[in-house]
Amino acid sequence: MGEFAALIHNENIKIYSRVRTWVMLAILGLMSALFPALIYFTSSSNPVGVWDNFQLTVTISFFLNTIFTVVIASDAVAGEFSWGTIKLLLIRPWSRSKILLSKYISMILFSLLSTAVLIAFGYASSLIFSGQDTSDVTNLMSWSPAAYSFMDLFCRYIELFLTAALAFMVSSVFRASGLAIGLSLFIMFTKNIFVQIFSPERFEWAQYLIFTHMDLRVYLLSDTGPGGVSLYFSAAVLAAYYVLFLAVSWLVFSKRDVAA
Amino acid sequence: MPVTAESANKPVASLMGVSKKIGSKTLVSDLTLDIPPGQIFGFLGPNGAGKTTTIRMMVGLISISQGDILICGRSIKDHFEEAVANIGAIVENPEMYKFLSGYQNLRQYARMVPGVTKQRIDEVVELVGLGQRINDKVKTYSLGMRQRLGVAQALLHRPKLLILDEPTNGLDPQGIRELRDYLRRLCQTEGTTVFVSSHLLSEMELMCDSVAIIQNGRLIDVKQLKAVGDAVLPVTETLFEVNDPEGALTLLGQGVIKNGGVTVEAGREEIAELNAALVAAGFKVYSIRALSRSLEDQFLEITGGEGIG
Repeated sequence: MGEFAALIHNENIKIYSRVRTWVMLAILGLMSALFPALIYFTSSSNPVGVWDNFQLTVTISFFLNTIFTVVIASDAVAGEFSWGTIKLLLIRPWSRSKILLSKYISMILFSLLSTAVLIAFGYASSLIFSGQDTSDVTNLMSWSPAAYSFMDLFCRYIELFLTAALAFMVSSVFRASGLAIGLSLFIMFTKNIFVQIFSPERFEWAQYLIFTHMDLRVYLLSDTGPGGVSLYFSAAVLAAYYVLFLAVSWLVFSKRDVAA
Repeated sequence: MPVTAESANKPVASLMGVSKKIGSKTLVSDLTLDIPPGQIFGFLGPNGAGKTTTIRMMVGLISISQGDILICGRSIKDHFEEAVANIGAIVENPEMYKFLSGYQNLRQYARMVPGVTKQRIDEVVELVGLGQRINDKVKTYSLGMRQRLGVAQALLHRPKLLILDEPTNGLDPQGIRELRDYLRRLCQTEGTTVFVSSHLLSEMELMCDSVAIIQNGRLIDVKQLKAVGDAVLPVTETLFEVNDPEGALTLLGQGVIKNGGVTVEAGREEIAELNAALVAAGFKVYSIRALSRSLEDQFLEITGGEGIG
């Protein structure tokens, strides 16, 4: 019944007609444009290269990117519940699965847009604020600086993708966006501590924790990952968690009694 | 749409032995009710009787523990999308996206069903009387305006069954009057069946053709309010307001002094004769009123005037 694209369109309107979304995108763009300049003027060494500058900027502003995407993901379902609009949304001739899917897709679209903003502003600013391209990243393995930068971005995006899926799940299960934001950011910032405490080198079961594998960038420089596992193993673990997150969101959302 | 004799009498919604249990609590118990087409059907009960729970089950917001609900012959359990397409509803307060305008809100819902044109949206806006304010953000709306917008979103796709949960909440007398009028018009011109819940008895009395009364999750009674045709008026209690009730009582030789006048039980003709006698004897008759039992009295009688139990 009707066009599924219309559902995504609706969800997009809910995201982009709020001032908050534009403030987040503006901050992200501004930060990404500002950091190359800061790095350029504070660097003690020779003028920094374009890709070095860009790399450093991405390292910092990608945190912001993840946080903002998590904010959107957390509001996707929880927002409808706290606004009370969920009742009017669910009495349309659409299955709950499709409504949930449209919310998920619109959230992913936002993450792609915000990442594009980050890249565009970060790279343009790096081009302006850099000396000649004598990059250190060239020395890394066999990657060219541009290829390395983009692979690095890709790995970070996967991390964001999983964090957002987690936030989406918490949002759908607990209907509380604050909890979803808090929990996802907690995991984002503490995963390295987890990896240190439960090192996959010491505990075999730690190989199956999501924390161990979220940062795939190790594979850019080495063939083996944490605990000596391969990239395929890491990818399989991440995929399993991803499916789990979405399955739980779907199960809870489609079975829930909406009595709020 | 041709209305055949068969479809004209088929209930728009059938609740068949519907129960809702949460844990050990039974909110609605074995409710069986048919809602006939083309009526304004009231759903009456004290607070906590299970009205909203029943409505939530009808629109598929909560699961049905036992029994089933058919909307235009389709089960809301097994064929949710087809069944719910026949329904327009407001469940409790009509909450809208506050950061969007009223019009944008309606567009949201219009996109979710096929065939709702821009023209239809304008038509509905006109009907509920939101006028120019439709382009303002919903956060600037009063409760009454949100209620109107709620009715508008429920009407967009011309549903066969309109379900309104406490629609008069927050409406001013003028708004209540308008709501009543356009529900009536909707019922007559588009043949929409309206299912409306309320605990406001006097309101229901004015609005509905029939009412179902529910208490403690059980259906207690279904009453027809608007008598079909001219039923013979039975003997009613009638109040004569006169300047000297004691004197009038002696003259009439019947009735009691109650409600600041003489109350007698009499038929139509008898009342006229009694009045003539009073006037002939020099009494001043200020008013003659039939003390018909209101729905409220009947309701309290049926439900035993119990509180939330």
